[in-house]
Order: sequence, then structure tokens, then C-alpha cells
Amino acid sequence: MNYKKLAAIPLSVSLLFPMGAIANAADNSGHGTSSMAVSNPATDLRATLDSILSEHAYLAIIAMQKGIDGSKDFDAAAAQLGENTDELSAAIGSVYGDDAANQFKEIWGSHIGYFVEYVKATAANDEEGRKKAVSELDGYRVTQAKFLDTATEGRLKAKDLEEGLKMHVDQLIWAFDNYNAGEYEKAYEGITESMMHMFGTGKGISWAITDQFPDKFDKMSVDTPAADLREQLNNQFSTHAALAILAMQKGIDGAKDFDVSAAELNGNTEDLTKSIESVYGAEGAKQFNDIWSSHIGYFVDYVKATAGDDAEGQKAAMANLDDYRVKQAAFLETATEGRLKAADLEEGLKVHVDQLLAAFNKYHDGDYDGAYDDIHEAYSHMFGVGTMMAGAIVDQYPDKFAGSMPADMPKTGLGGMSQESNDSTVMWILTSLILAMAAGAVVIRKTRTENN
Amino acid sequence: MKITALLTSGLIALSLAGCSSSQDSPPQSEERLELQSSPPSTQEAAVEKPSSEGLSLVAEQKGIKPVTLEIPAIGVTSDIENVGELENGQMGVPEGVDNVGWFEPGTLPGNRGSSVMAGHIDSLTGPAVFYKLDQLKKGDEVVVKDAEGKSLTFIVTKTERYPRKDAPIDEIFGFSYGSRLNLITCTGEFNRKAKTHEERLVVYTELADQDSEG
Repeated sequence: MNYKKLAAIPLSVSLLFPMGAIANAADNSGHGTSSMAVSNPATDLRATLDSILSEHAYLAIIAMQKGIDGSKDFDAAAAQLGENTDELSAAIGSVYGDDAANQFKEIWGSHIGYFVEYVKATAANDEEGRKKAVSELDGYRVTQAKFLDTATEGRLKAKDLEEGLKMHVDQLIWAFDNYNAGEYEKAYEGITESMMHMFGTGKGISWAITDQFPDKFDKMSVDTPAADLREQLNNQFSTHAALAILAMQKGIDGAKDFDVSAAELNGNTEDLTKSIESVYGAEGAKQFNDIWSSHIGYFVDYVKATAGDDAEGQKAAMANLDDYRVKQAAFLETATEGRLKAADLEEGLKVHVDQLLAAFNKYHDGDYDGAYDDIHEAYSHMFGVGTMMAGAIVDQYPDKFAGSMPADMPKTGLGGMSQESNDSTVMWILTSLILAMAAGAVVIRKTRTENN
Repeated sequence: MKITALLTSGLIALSLAGCSSSQDSPPQSEERLELQSSPPSTQEAAVEKPSSEGLSLVAEQKGIKPVTLEIPAIGVTSDIENVGELENGQMGVPEGVDNVGWFEPGTLPGNRGSSVMAGHIDSLTGPAVFYKLDQLKKGDEVVVKDAEGKSLTFIVTKTERYPRKDAPIDEIFGFSYGSRLNLITCTGEFNRKAKTHEERLVVYTELADQDSEG
């Protein structure tokens, strides 16, 4: 492979994603729930990249776990990871053209391959093999960083990218090594952290692209407090979906790491609660926590009932989930002062509940491809939820989302060392001075100078 | 428009964003991912403890709360005042003409994004802290320290001059993937009527590799 070709990436810029579809997603006619501040071409690009990149981290860790366990759903998890690579490459291609997309796919795909080698070597107790995989990952970082530095015309610096990629690689290895050693708390902390890390990557890449092609993004910025809130919520909501599905799988399998996976899911609930508290205060946060936690409990009930072949128990859990939807929707309608409507929220929550149950049922039935398709849907769905919530919050408290840039440059000089500019006042002073000098006033000045 | 429709179309946008829903996996990754055949699930005798000691799980926070600024190339050693945005929208300036003002609502030096500091070029009677800022050249060092003495070194990448009312605020104060520290002072002629210089000088710097520093 010849990476020198990178220098010649054609900036075909056919352009970016189906903007029409994204614009529709951002269309909030009448609701006022998703202002341009939250959803515009630039922030939508950021959210899209965040979604694909963070799902990559999730699927990579899951595939590594399933790989070392020799689980039956390994192939499906790995195939989903491959689809994620296709999606990311297509996104790159929509900006930088097909050649770039192919190069990107080859480079990105290589690092997944090295992780697989790492897992294989670990399974075989092959220390040399593990070292080789790590060293290949080191090489990958350099190649990947160079690609993005070139593509973004230096907006993303290879040095910074290599650092970010090292973090990504380290996190995945950390999560895997700890899983393999039975250090499940660390392993699951690694999952949460590695997903969150990718939101920084998504922000960086989308920043570079929107800076490179400002006209294609209405000259909008990816870096606003509203966009940061949107991605924070997207991160927390999507992590919820990812961990919930994983905990359900671990639960039905009776896996050793079930308790820890459930604890990590509860940790995510605490993160979400803190976000709610920062907007709606401690009382609102407590209500949210109670309601939200209840639905996790009902999912657990459903898994238990499934494990016990208890159809009645499954039904009861689903009925409880229906009740949950009503309560959760009412809470959010009240909190957002009607910006989000309960009826709409109930429908949205039904999608979430149905996706999780479908992903779980298919996993239980051995339809692993179907399960991972549903996992992808459930994961992506949460980005709509985060965007919707952020839209309502920003609309409700616009003052909290004022930018942190001044409108104008500072006034950093008082003129003591400067020449005067030739505006009319100054010209008048100069002219007077010349006239005065001509009148002999210069003599007086000279004398005074000598006296000093 | 209904929220559900919003959610659904958001979902469509997300899946369309990939352009291809891609049933066709790349051949090379399939080949690499055929793992399942080989690894035995019997991890007997335990693969030894993870080798994750040297790995970092959480990004190290490099940002520091700046209290002093040093620019050896032009002999600047200065205390830092925190400044904000004035009512008229301008970035605030330090009270002392020998001090530098750090734009506190913005980014901490060392964090991702652009940290911004401003200093006077002159006082009413003579030169001030950034009088020689225009002499900085690419590669010169700018050192920021916090109250504990932890220091970060930035390297000058370029110098730009802008008309005072037409500076690219987004570029100077906005996000960047790397860590920047941008220094502002006045330059150009002094307009007595507007009581300010006609131009602004911005020296852009980027965080250096911090291998030797705290």
C-alpha cells in the first residue's frame, strides 16, 4: 500500500451526507424543541460522527469479549463492527471522495485486524503475538494520523491525532485485558470511557471539516454550548442503550460479569441524573432517577422471566414498561414546560423499549445478526433522544447557553508609544502644528528642550 | 411535527449518513475477523494479569489555571489577570499595563481549543508588556505557569494583523483539536478619536510536546 498517495487526496467534496435528510431531522416546525443552536448542518455532522465513532468503540470491545469467550454471537458482533467501518468510510468519502474513503477504510480496517490479532494471541497465551499486535497498533496510529492530517490540510495535527488514537487503543486494550483477567469493574469502566472518548474525536473531525468547507455548513460552528449539551446527552443516552443491552445478554447467559455490567448501567443512570440536576435541580433529578431506574428494573424482570421460561412474568414486565413510559413522558413534559409533549415522548420511549426487547429476544433466540442490527438501531435512536432533550433545554434556558467568546477584540493600547493616524482630527492637529512651527513657535519648544 | 417523526427522521438521517447500509463487508476485515474458529474458550491456567499498567484510561487533563507568562525571546515576564467580556462586547484588558489578561470564560491553556491572552502594547506614556510582541518569530517559546509552578510551553506558529473591527473572532477564540494559546495586542496607528489603535496583532501558538515539563 502506498500512503504517499495520501498527499493527493482529491477534494471532490461532492458533498457531505444527504444534507436533505439531516435538515429534515433538524426541522422542528412548530415545536421549538430543536433550535438551530442545537441542530444545524455543522452540529448534525458532529453528532453523526460521534454516533458512528462511539459505536465503533462499543462494538470493538464487545467483539473482543465475545472473541476471547468463543461466544456464538462473535461473528455477528464482528460483522456489525465491519458495517460500522463501512458507515464511517462512507462519511469520510462524502467529504473527501471515493479514493480517500477507500484509503481510510483500509487504514481503519487494519487497526480492527490488529485488535483481533491481540485477542487471538491472548487466547493462545502468545506473549510475542500480543507484543507484535501492539507494535502494529503503534504503526497504525502514525498512518491514521497522517491520513487525517493530510485530508484536513493540517487542521488536525498528526501529533495531536496520534495522542488521541493512543488513548483509543489503550482504552480498548485496557477494557479487554481487564475483562480477560476477571477485573470486571475496570473492564466496564473502560467501556464507558472509551465510548466517551470518541465524542472528542467526533468533535475534532467535524470541527476540521466544517472549518475546511464552511460554506457547506452554513458557516456554522460545531463548538457551541448548545452543541456540547446535545453531545453530552447523546453520549449518556447512547451509553445507556449500549450497557442495557449488554447487561441483558450477560444476565441471560448467567455471565460472571453480569453484576458489574448492571452496576455500570446504574453508574450511567447517575451520570444522566447529574445532567438532569444541572438543569432541573435536585428535586427534579431525584424524580428522574426513580422513574428511569424503574425501567431498568423492568428490563431485568423481563430477562429473569425469560430465563425462567415464565411467559406471565414477561408480560408483567412489559406491562410495567408501558406504565413506565407514561410516567417518564409526563415527567419530561412537565420539566420542559410542554416543550416536549407527553404523547410524542411515549411513542419515542416505545421505540426505545421495543428496540431493547427485540435485541434481547433475538439474542436469546440465536438470531445474532438480527440482534446486532437492533443494537445498532437502539444505539442510533438515542442520538435523536439527546438532540430532542437538548433542544428543549436550550429553548427553555437560552441564557445558560450563551457563547463563551467575546463579540469584539480587546483595546490593548493607550497610544503612548504610537504615531497618530490621519483621521481628520489628527490632520487638524498636525496642520496647526505645522502652522505654529512656521510661526516660529518651534524656537520656544527648542529652548524648552534644552532647558530640560 | 411530531417528536416521533423527528426521532424517526433523525434515525433515518443517521443511517443514511453512512450512504450505504453496506451489506458488503470489506473482504480484508472478514478475513481478519474470522477469529471465532481459532480461540479456544478454555483460558486455562489463566492468561496472566493484564498488562494494562502503562495504559491510560482517562485523558490526562493538561489545562492549567495560568498565573504567569514568560516569553524569553522578547524579555517578557508577566503576571496574569483574569479578564472577561466587557459590556460593549469587547474582551476585557488587564488593569496593569505590565500584566497580561487571560480570557477566563474561554479555554484553560493546555486544554483542547484556543486559550486567549491580551496585553497592552503601550500605556499613556510608554511601552507596555506586549510592546515587542510583533518581534516574535515562528518557533519562539511562550511559557505559562500556574500557582503551583506547573508549566506549559507553547510554540509560536504564526503572526497575523487584522483591522480592529474585522478580526476573525471564531478563529482566535474558537475550538481547535489541538491546544492553542493566542496572544493579542494592538498595532498599527493610534486613532486619537477612537482612542485605540487601528489594528490588532495576534500571535498564534500551539502546545509543544511536554516531555520534560510538569
